[in-house]
Amino acid sequence: MQQIKTVGVIGSGTMGAGIAQLLVQNGYPVILFDIDETTVTRAKEAIESKLDRLVVKERITHATSEKAKKNLGITTDMNSFANCRLVIEAAPERLEIKRSIFSKLEEICSKDSILTSNTSSLSITEISGQSANPERIAGLHFFNPAPIMPLVEVVKGLKTASSTVDTLVQFAQTINKSPVMCKDTPGFIVNRVARPFYNEALRIMNDKIATPSQIDRIMKNAGNFKMGPFELQDLIGIDINFATTKSVYEGFHGESRFRPHYYQERMVQSGSLGRKTKGGFFDYDN
Amino acid sequence: MTIKTVAIIGDNLIAKELSNSFQENPHVHLVDAKALTEQVDVVIETTNLDKEEKKRRVEEIEASVSPTTLILSTTLGVTATEVASWLYHPERLIGFGTFANFRKGSLIEVALPLQADASYLQAATDTFSFIHQDIEVVEDEVGFVFPRILSMIVNEAAYALSEQTAEAEAIDVAMKKGTNYPMGPLEWANEIGLDDIFAVLSGLYRELGEERYRPAPLIRKLVYAGWIGGETDKCFYHYQNSKNKELSV
Repeated sequence: MQQIKTVGVIGSGTMGAGIAQLLVQNGYPVILFDIDETTVTRAKEAIESKLDRLVVKERITHATSEKAKKNLGITTDMNSFANCRLVIEAAPERLEIKRSIFSKLEEICSKDSILTSNTSSLSITEISGQSANPERIAGLHFFNPAPIMPLVEVVKGLKTASSTVDTLVQFAQTINKSPVMCKDTPGFIVNRVARPFYNEALRIMNDKIATPSQIDRIMKNAGNFKMGPFELQDLIGIDINFATTKSVYEGFHGESRFRPHYYQERMVQSGSLGRKTKGGFFDYDN
Repeated sequence: MTIKTVAIIGDNLIAKELSNSFQENPHVHLVDAKALTEQVDVVIETTNLDKEEKKRRVEEIEASVSPTTLILSTTLGVTATEVASWLYHPERLIGFGTFANFRKGSLIEVALPLQADASYLQAATDTFSFIHQDIEVVEDEVGFVFPRILSMIVNEAAYALSEQTAEAEAIDVAMKKGTNYPMGPLEWANEIGLDDIFAVLSGLYRELGEERYRPAPLIRKLVYAGWIGGETDKCFYHYQNSKNKELSV
């Protein structure tokens, strides 16, 4: 396994910035890329203030924070990734955007570097389908918030080499994550297996078997889940949850187990998206 | 009515766990299944997988107890309304839904059949309070809320495992660390007993008639093989290990 030193991260949104923060906190130099100078500068400042807060809360030392800040570089020029052995792409979830990023990366980065996507809804095989060296392209799926959630799904596309997957598993361990390997299937593991938690709850609610607050109480007190399906949808955002369900449903070409519920769509259409709009399945008026 | 004596009829893991729990409470007397008389206040019946067997047992119970004895029946794979329909006095039947490891939680779901006399609900509440469980009343449908949702999660995990999307351990780790589940679905099924998961799925599939509830073929086969976890400790992991051994030969 070639040594991974500097990591390139593409996209400075929630996931990209979270991944960059995680990496610098664990001692990796990072170059964070975004197309707009102001956006990426703002992301850097936000990461720095998060590191400061971690010092105040005594989660990390002052020294770790200072080193992490020094390790965090930003750029608007992808050519800066020339020496990166690993690139993690966390750009918007649109195929044409991702494909154009990967074709640029293939020109910029050396052949022995590993190129990964943090996609949750697109297939790795689809993203890497037209590449010259698809064997070094894989999925590296982090969960929000990336610095905190311990899981990373390492996704093996149809043409991904086993050595690429092995290297990524070892890499994930060096940043204190629990990696799991999975094949390139719709929703990978978590977003697929978790679908019934929401879908079946919506069905039960709409069939008037139990109310949302009853269902949440039952899942917590009988099932020991930390949160019920409705309060969790409100936290995640009902629109985000609906989009995930739709993408898994479409990925499986209409498999009925994943069929989205029309009531959830009505909630999205009404603009009641959960906590972020101060109302979803429950009210958050104050 | 003050409840003094309870009988538990069933030979699955959930019956055993219920007996253990009731025995820990000195304020209730647990009578032997063979000693069912008109003096028993509450009978708890727990057969899930075999509907004919369940029907036979419920009919036997009714023949031994008084017409007003509360019968609490696990309605995981059938509706409480259907179970009540097997009785001459259906109004005293209440369905309940829980799994064998109910002691990890503090709530049991109950449902009234259409034929029910709601005044029996108090006796059901009192009965479960002996084993420190609150009740939540939901509408009568196969699998209730928690058993139905968890069974569907286990079903999806079983499909993913048999398609070799990931190893059993990877699936369990992913659900615990990626979305904070208290247990991974495959180890959870092992603890509960896959027979009860299968009872919920096949009940939903039969009663609602939708493709979406089709039990994963792997679950069906594990149940046939008797690899249902619980006390056997053979379930999904055992299946995967024997598959791996087969491949390495």
